[in-house]
Amino acid sequence: MTRKVLLRYSTKKATEPILASVIKETGILPNILYAEVGTKGGEILLAIDASDAEIDGAIELFKKKGVEVKEVKRAIELDEDSCFDCGACISLCPTSALYMDKDGSVKLDDNKCIYCGLCVPSCPVHALKLSKFW
Amino acid sequence: MARTKVSKSITEINEKIRRGDAVVVTAEEMIEVVKSRGEVEAAKEVDIVTTGTFGAMCSSGAWLNFGHSDPPIKMQRVWLNDVEAYTGVAAVDAYIGAAQLSETRGFDYGGGHVIEDLIRGKEIALRAIAYGTDCYPRRELQTVITKHEINQAVLCNPRNAYQRYEAATNSGNETIYTYMGTLLPNYGNVTYSGSGCLSPLHNDPNYETIGIGTRIFLGGTQGYIFWEGTQHAPTNAMGTLMTVGNLKEMDPRYIRGATVEKYGTTLYVGLGIPIPIINEAVAKATGVSDEEIKTTVVDYGVPRRDRPVIREVTYSELKSGKVEIHGKEVPVSPLSSIKRAREIANVLKRWIEEGKFYLTQPVSRLSTTQVFKPMKQISAVPFVRDIMTRKVTTARPEDPIDVAARIFAEKGFDHLPIVDARGKLVGIVTSWDIAVAVGKGKKKLSEVLTSKVITARGDEPVDAVARKLEKHGISGVPVVNSLGGLEGILTSEDIAKLLGRRKK
Repeated sequence: MTRKVLLRYSTKKATEPILASVIKETGILPNILYAEVGTKGGEILLAIDASDAEIDGAIELFKKKGVEVKEVKRAIELDEDSCFDCGACISLCPTSALYMDKDGSVKLDDNKCIYCGLCVPSCPVHALKLSKFW
Repeated sequence: MARTKVSKSITEINEKIRRGDAVVVTAEEMIEVVKSRGEVEAAKEVDIVTTGTFGAMCSSGAWLNFGHSDPPIKMQRVWLNDVEAYTGVAAVDAYIGAAQLSETRGFDYGGGHVIEDLIRGKEIALRAIAYGTDCYPRRELQTVITKHEINQAVLCNPRNAYQRYEAATNSGNETIYTYMGTLLPNYGNVTYSGSGCLSPLHNDPNYETIGIGTRIFLGGTQGYIFWEGTQHAPTNAMGTLMTVGNLKEMDPRYIRGATVEKYGTTLYVGLGIPIPIINEAVAKATGVSDEEIKTTVVDYGVPRRDRPVIREVTYSELKSGKVEIHGKEVPVSPLSSIKRAREIANVLKRWIEEGKFYLTQPVSRLSTTQVFKPMKQISAVPFVRDIMTRKVTTARPEDPIDVAARIFAEKGFDHLPIVDARGKLVGIVTSWDIAVAVGKGKKKLSEVLTSKVITARGDEPVDAVARKLEKHGISGVPVVNSLGGLEGILTSEDIAKLLGRRKK
C-alpha cells in the first residue's frame, strides 16, 4: 500500500543526509512528490509503497533522526456533489490523478496526486480544494 | 421532395405518447439501432430520439420584472448582488447576462451565479439608481428579491446548443487562460466543447424537425426555441439556437453559474431536444456517431480571429481523452459534461415515456443557409512590424561585460538583445545583470544573459503584445521571426506613441 509522509526539517537538520540514510538503512523506495527547502528549513513529501510495518519503521527512524513526520491522508478534495463532470481539470493534471472513468465521471486517485494545485482554479464551480498539509 | 418509405406526423407521434406506447431512445442508443437495422427499419421502430448537452453557454441570461416600488422608480442602472443588469428598457425590467462580472467579487461571481442563486430561491440584493421623472420620482432603491416575489423570471438565451465547436490548444510558450479553459504551453493539452453524437443539432443537421416553436428540455423544465441563435452557421455545421424558458421552474442541477479561470463568468446550461422520427432520412441523421462528427483543433496561442488550424479531429478521438499533435499524445479536457448531457437525454426520454412531454410542430423553419460574417472594421489594426524599431543594437554572447556596460551608458537603454553569429536571438542582458556581473567578477555576457526571453512576432497585433508586457511587468520585447532571428524590438514607449496618435 502507498502511504504519503510529510517530513519537516529544521534549518539544522536540512544539512544532514537524513532521507538518504533512512533509505539506506530501511531499503524503502520513496517517491519524492514535493520538496521545498529554504532558510527556515523545509518540507519533503514522500509517497512510500511498502508494507505497513516497513513504513511505520521508516517513520520511527525519521523521528529518531530529528525530523518532524506527519502522515498525509488527503490534500486535494473533490466535492462530488458540486462537480458536474466537465473534466476541465483532467488535462491539466500532470500525473493523471484526475481522470474520467468509463461512465464519464471525474475521479481523483489520491495515490497519484502530487498536490501541485494546478487543477484547483480550473474548476468552474470550485469543486476542487487544496488543504494545507499541517 | 423525394417520397419517403416511412412517414409519421407529429400528431401521430403525440397520440402514441398519449397512449403510452411511443418508442423513445437516446441519440447514443439510436446509433446501434440504425447500424444494425438500417434507417428504414429504425424509422418504423423508433418514434423519438432524445438528445442532450450540458455546456458553458456564455450567451445566456434572464429577463426579470421586479414590479413597482412606492414611490416608483424608472431604473437607469440596476445591480443584483453587485452584478449589473441591463435596464435600458421599461422602468423595472432588466436583463441579467451570464458573463457580466460582479463589481466586488470579480471572476468569482457573475450573472451566471445570480441566475443559479435565483433558481435556488436565494435572496438577491437589488440596488438601483435613476434620474427621476414626474411619473417615476424615486432616484435610489435598495431591496432584497427572490424568484417568488418578482413577476417574470425568464431565461432567454441568444445563442445556445452549438452543433459542434472548435477544439483548442496552445502552441505558445506560456500558459494562456481562454474561454476554452486553461491551455498549457507547447501543445500541453487540448480542450473541446459539445456533446458529439448527443448534440441536439447534430441529430437534425438539416433542420427538418427542429424549428421555431420547438418544445425542448431547458434547465430542467420545458422551454422553447424561438429563433435561430446568433452566429448561426448551419452550412459550417455550427448551427445555434435562441431559447427561452421559465427560470422559476428550473432545476439548479441543469443550470449552473461558473467561472472560467482568469477569463470570466458563464452559465452552464442543460438543453435537450427531442427529434421526432418522421421519416428514414431523419432516422439516418440521428444515427450519427462520434466517429463521423469532425471538428478542428485550433491554436489559441495566436490571438487573432482566424486562428491557425492544427489538425482535424473527430469527437470520438476527443472523447477518448488523448489526441495526437505533432507526434505527441496530448491529454484532453471536455469542458462540457458528457455525463450530464447523457442524463438530460435520459430525463427527456423518461418525460416522454411518462406522458409529461409532448412534441410540437415548428411554426416556421430555421435557416439552413445563414453564414457567420466577421465584423466590419473601419480602421486598420496595427501590427508589431508596423511600429517596432528595426535598428537594434545587439551584442554577442562571447562579448566581454564592458561592451554591454558601454552600450547602456552611451545609449541609455536598459535591455540588450544577445544574438549569435547568424543573428538568432539567444538571450537578453539588462543593466542590472551587468551590475551583478561586475560584482561577481564575471567576464562574458554568456555568463549573465537570460536565455528565457519573452518575445513577440511581427505579425502579432500590437494589442496582444501590450497585454503580454502588462502580464509580465516588462517594458519591451525583442521581435523574432519563426526561426528565432531577431527582427526588431518593441517597447512600451513605441506602444504609447501609437496610442497617442490614435487619440488625436
